[in-house]
Amino acid sequence: MKIRIEKASCAGNARCAAVSEELFPLNEDGYIAVDKVDVPEGKEQLARRGARACPERIIFIEEE
Amino acid sequence: MSATMSPAVPKPDHVADAAVYDFDMFADPAYVADPHKRILDLVKNAPPVFWTPRNGGHWMIMSHEANFAAARDIETFSSNFIPKERLAAMQAQMPRHLPMPLPINVDPPDHTKYRAPLQKVFSPKTINGLKDSIRELAGQLIDKIKADGKCDFMTSVAEPLPVVVFLKMLGLPLERMEEYREIVSQHLSDPTPNPIDSIKKLWRIVDSIKDTLEERRVNPQDDIISMLWKTEIDGQPMTMADMENYSVVLFIAGLDTVMNGIGHGVRYLATDLPLQDRLRQNPELVGEASEEMLRRFTFTVPPRIIGKDAVFNGLEMKKGERAMLFLPAADLDAKAFANPDTYNLDRENKTHIAFNAGVHRCLGSHLARVELQVCYEEMLARLPRFRLDPANPPTFHCGHVVGVSSLHLVWDT
Ligand code: HEM
Repeated sequence: MKIRIEKASCAGNARCAAVSEELFPLNEDGYIAVDKVDVPEGKEQLARRGARACPERIIFIEEE
Repeated sequence: MSATMSPAVPKPDHVADAAVYDFDMFADPAYVADPHKRILDLVKNAPPVFWTPRNGGHWMIMSHEANFAAARDIETFSSNFIPKERLAAMQAQMPRHLPMPLPINVDPPDHTKYRAPLQKVFSPKTINGLKDSIRELAGQLIDKIKADGKCDFMTSVAEPLPVVVFLKMLGLPLERMEEYREIVSQHLSDPTPNPIDSIKKLWRIVDSIKDTLEERRVNPQDDIISMLWKTEIDGQPMTMADMENYSVVLFIAGLDTVMNGIGHGVRYLATDLPLQDRLRQNPELVGEASEEMLRRFTFTVPPRIIGKDAVFNGLEMKKGERAMLFLPAADLDAKAFANPDTYNLDRENKTHIAFNAGVHRCLGSHLARVELQVCYEEMLARLPRFRLDPANPPTFHCGHVVGVSSLHLVWDT
């Protein structure tokens, strides 16, 4: 599974990281540090929940 | 709080009749009596965006979609209420620095510049480091009332907790807590003051902090004030004026909000004993419970000024008009949340906008989340089932913060 994040629009809610800090790492200011995530096998459900938790709606599942 | 409705002003020509809905966001009697009940009624019966003739006439942005769009459209929905030139002219008339609640009242690019130094201090990582000390403070406040079997929750816990957290974070002397509580209550006592009174209140906040600001400049400690002194704004060293601005914004944005958020949450908990039982048995659910509390009882109403003539949601808006991002309605919108009036701990989608969205997203949201969650956890752990005191129902006040004025609880001892 691959995830794309519109990093420039991140507002620092950190809700994705509240679901999984490992999948959605934050920078020192608390904003998303990456614009792509290669989801390891077995973490798909967590990744989907992290994407849905974003109030800014900027986390997209590109490939199931 | 007594509430007198403001007079209705005539509707401007460009506002269609169908876009008008009469609602006084400070004094509507049903709203002040039980705010979120009235908000549910508005969500059902008022248009998704409307113009109200009260309080000088202004737009109300109601639906989730419209609020989401408005928070991102900063050219139309500007936070820059006073243009820079006018501010400079005002400052020239003043005997001393006029503190500005930066970055809340400016648009990018200035917004980015003034927000940057605060980001790290309020990041999830820094805030998590404070969790234990916040828990200790909350525990102390609750233990003090435990044997009484009753309390006014607002004065005994909800109000002092964010004040002591604020003093601790900024490195201000805790012995001066009563003085700060007094300033907070004075600050809140008049929700629509005249401009001179508001400036005097800001000066009073600065006066109470200034000696510590000066002291930390030369003797840095492990606190926010010392950290900020070491930061730069856009490559320039921090000045006393910058520090006054930041002190004021943290004071205004971080005390009243947390206090009322806790108030709404605990009021709900006091009415839902099965939820209390479930959370006492499963304390790991309190974080989720706190999120659903924020959604169900979203309580802040950020103002905007229309920055350019625009058509929004099919409605013509003119530069200089005012608009309210009525976030409490957005989070009760059935299009965004199924059965929005139900408090549902198991709701999967709790992506509320209680902290707004877009560039002004609450800087203190991580701190606020910790304070709310820890306070609920400690209330549930330290007190048995608590209920509303039937003889003293809760009272509320409304405005940019929809708040709980008194909340009398009872429990068995
Ligand atoms: C439950 C408690 C809180 C709620 C519901 C809340 C809500 C909000 C909202 C809705 C905004 C956006 C305002 C706008 O769009 O104009 C905001 C901004 C802000 N909040 Fe909070 N807040 C809370 C607690 C705090 C705390 C504890 C602090 C800091 C100590 C804080 C500091 C700020 C600051 C500095 C801003 C301005 C951010 C900017 O303009 O970029 N807030 N808050």
